[in-house]
Amino acid sequence: MPIFYIVAGTVFGFVLSRSGAADYDFIQGMFLFSNLQLYGIIGTAVVLTAPGLWWITRHGRSATGARIAFERKVLNRGTVIGGMLFGIGWSIAGMCPGPMLVNLGEGKLYALGALAGAFTGAALFGALYPRLQRPLGLPPLS
Amino acid sequence: MPLILNGLPALHWAVSGAAIAAVTLLLLFIGNRRLGISSGFDDVCSLVLSSSYFRRGRTLEGRRWRLPFLAGLFLGGLLSAQLGGGWAPTWSAGMLDAALGLSPAAKLVWMFVGGLFVGFGTRLANGCTSGHGIFGLSNFEWPSLVATLCFMGSGLVTTQVLYRLVLR
Repeated sequence: MPIFYIVAGTVFGFVLSRSGAADYDFIQGMFLFSNLQLYGIIGTAVVLTAPGLWWITRHGRSATGARIAFERKVLNRGTVIGGMLFGIGWSIAGMCPGPMLVNLGEGKLYALGALAGAFTGAALFGALYPRLQRPLGLPPLS
Repeated sequence: MPLILNGLPALHWAVSGAAIAAVTLLLLFIGNRRLGISSGFDDVCSLVLSSSYFRRGRTLEGRRWRLPFLAGLFLGGLLSAQLGGGWAPTWSAGMLDAALGLSPAAKLVWMFVGGLFVGFGTRLANGCTSGHGIFGLSNFEWPSLVATLCFMGSGLVTTQVLYRLVLR
């Protein structure tokens, strides 16, 4: 089964690479409204994923017959604060999480800095979780 | 507008969006997995860190599919470069170079700072562009709409301030 996820990731990464989603200039262009490509990509992806998702969850079974089950997102103060912090980082680096790996694969060496920062940020969040949990209303660890 | 990568033309947005939707739906239908990439930061951390946050079942179980998927993202970038004019290491960062002309070391620091916000922010928000923006919005989850509005809004403000005020 790992091979399926490697192939799925490769296709996903190739598309991110060639679409502009992993391109510093396209990301800035999106936030400057000078290049609307990324709005078209995200919009199309959502418009096409939504009916498929509706059908799969209604059908209720995966291709192997397993019951479809996934975690739904929960709302808390972290959703707002974390979302805003992420947006600042997306603008500065010109990369959201997937494109960091895509950019590195493409040979853009500065993606190493972004990845190192992201792992450090995640490690920091993990270390602070017990202290942030109550004030931000984060769920118990599961 | 060409890509930074070898000056290649970008795929049409509708084709790109359709391909992203296809992978998202296949992950769910074949693998019974919810698309989400930033949880992968936890997965990588969990390989070396042992605090309770990184010992969670959702991380230890989820990393079995997410780590191969992340490896695929890297390979996808590599393949894209190799098939599109050839792979070569580069420091070129388009508009950032035109505005600031940072040295490689300074660019690594710049990117590290951005990455720090992305890593901390996505884990705090419990998702990124993929898990909230693509899957969550497609599944009509309110928290994902809130998160998406927050990160699009703050990214917009940051870039507008950077490129229309600070770096002009």
